[in-house]
Amino acid sequence: MAIAGKIKQVSIFMENKMGELTDVTTLLSKNNLSIKSINLAEASDFGLLRVIVDDAAFAKEILDAAGFSVKITEIFAVAIEDHVGSFNEVVRLLSENGINIEYTYTLSNKEEGAFVFKVNPAMISNTLQLLRNSGVKVLDRV
Amino acid sequence: MLWNRIESARREDLQTLQLERLKDTVERVYTLTPFYREKFDEAGIKPCDITRLEDLQKLPFTRKKDLRDHYPFGLFTVPMSEVVRVHSSSGTTGKPTVVGYTQADMDIWDEVMARVFTMSGASSEDVVHNGYGYGLFTGGLGFHNGAETVGATIVPASGGFTERQLMLMRDFQATVLACTPSFALHMAEVASKAGSDYLKHYKLKAGIFGAEPTSKGLKEEVSKAWGIDYHEVYGLSEIIGPGVSCSCKESELLHIFEDHFYAEIIDPKTGEVLPEGERGELVITPLTKQALPIIRYRTGDITSITTEPCKCGRTLQRMESIVGRADDMLIVNGVNVYPSQIEHVIANAEGVTLNYQIIADKKGHLDKLEIQIEVSDEVMSDNVSEVEKIKKDIQSSLLNNLYINAAVKLVEPRSIERSMGKAVRIVDKRT
Ligand SMILES: [Zn+2]
Repeated sequence: MAIAGKIKQVSIFMENKMGELTDVTTLLSKNNLSIKSINLAEASDFGLLRVIVDDAAFAKEILDAAGFSVKITEIFAVAIEDHVGSFNEVVRLLSENGINIEYTYTLSNKEEGAFVFKVNPAMISNTLQLLRNSGVKVLDRV
Repeated sequence: MLWNRIESARREDLQTLQLERLKDTVERVYTLTPFYREKFDEAGIKPCDITRLEDLQKLPFTRKKDLRDHYPFGLFTVPMSEVVRVHSSSGTTGKPTVVGYTQADMDIWDEVMARVFTMSGASSEDVVHNGYGYGLFTGGLGFHNGAETVGATIVPASGGFTERQLMLMRDFQATVLACTPSFALHMAEVASKAGSDYLKHYKLKAGIFGAEPTSKGLKEEVSKAWGIDYHEVYGLSEIIGPGVSCSCKESELLHIFEDHFYAEIIDPKTGEVLPEGERGELVITPLTKQALPIIRYRTGDITSITTEPCKCGRTLQRMESIVGRADDMLIVNGVNVYPSQIEHVIANAEGVTLNYQIIADKKGHLDKLEIQIEVSDEVMSDNVSEVEKIKKDIQSSLLNNLYINAAVKLVEPRSIERSMGKAVRIVDKRT
């Protein structure tokens, strides 16, 4: 059974970051996939584009077919209240419990502030449990 | 087990024998082949100038082109009535090269192949499944005769018909497999369709593989897939066929049958003989061939040779598995670089494919090397630092193992230019 709070994210390897960014977004919208969130992690000569769409499996299928190197990973999103330090509280909670954050980014199109977190896949269920028990608002979808 | 005591002879005795045989061979080609007489005269060398093994270095090389230019029998030193067999190698362009054997040559070939089988642990007790192609190619018949010489039961299966070959291997209880490593792997793939415990239907204990360049990874795969000892054989038709060298049970290096084949390692650019242990082009002079003696044949294969003693008791020098082709060599800031060495490094890295391109360019006075590698379809990680690590690991492996300072760039799947379906391996922008 899927645990509420796990969200599938599609990561795409990109060599020429800017030009291809539009290629990907155009391809997704042509296939009626609406982009809930998009984030580009850059290294010196490549980038990893992370997108959250409503149907990750379908997005992977069409991106695979277009010749992209694609991977689906599970992440979770947390609503952050609109006061200074609330992001910090979540980060501290995780680190105090020995949960290493691989990366995090803001959810771009949310009215309320929200952050995406990626942790070790083996830890994600426990992490979600911990957050809920501590009263942190985990989003069921973005 | 040794087939012939000469394999463990004292090196001084071996060298005495080599010198004696070398003198005969030089005399023979000078007297009987106008091609060599002309070349020797040009270089100002007479057969009597060869008094030590090192004197061979004064003699000119023979190349594949020389054989092709004298197609078909121009370099033979015996009348055709004494030739009992011819073989031919497939030329990708133009005429093939033709080689001939007298009965004495055939006996030598049988002898060295018998040593190969013995080295691989095969004897009259064994059933040898021979999956090398029979025909003009020396593989099939070379192995056939060697197996007969040691008295094994030979199954002359030749190539193709995988399912049928597997049936024969099961029904005849083959204990030794002889074929190309890629065919062995293909057969294992088909055999494994019968279930993960497919090995219980087979009795194989050893395999003798050759005729294609092989990475360490592929060897391990073949050995694991069949649960057998992997023995590698090296040879080429211009010298004799399979049976120039073979690996024993104690070492991955291949013992060269030096009493019949004199080996040198040269710098492929300058032709200079290199010190022991250094990598360069393998040059072979057969010492006992009658129909087609050849002086200093440029094999085009890159390897190194050691005379370090081997645990198996053989004193014969050993060569590495071929690391590349001299034609593919790039010189980058004075360092010789072979694409196949780079390929080995890439093959051992995760998250990338074997579609790569080596780009040599100039930056100021210095050469710079970039290696583009296509990532695998499924990105290994969506974590930037982990992907960076793949790249850095390849870079440091190239630097530490091969002394190659290259910038690795990861690129998208199918983005490297293809030619006939294969990625274009080398782009040299310096010329
Ligand atoms: Zn040995």
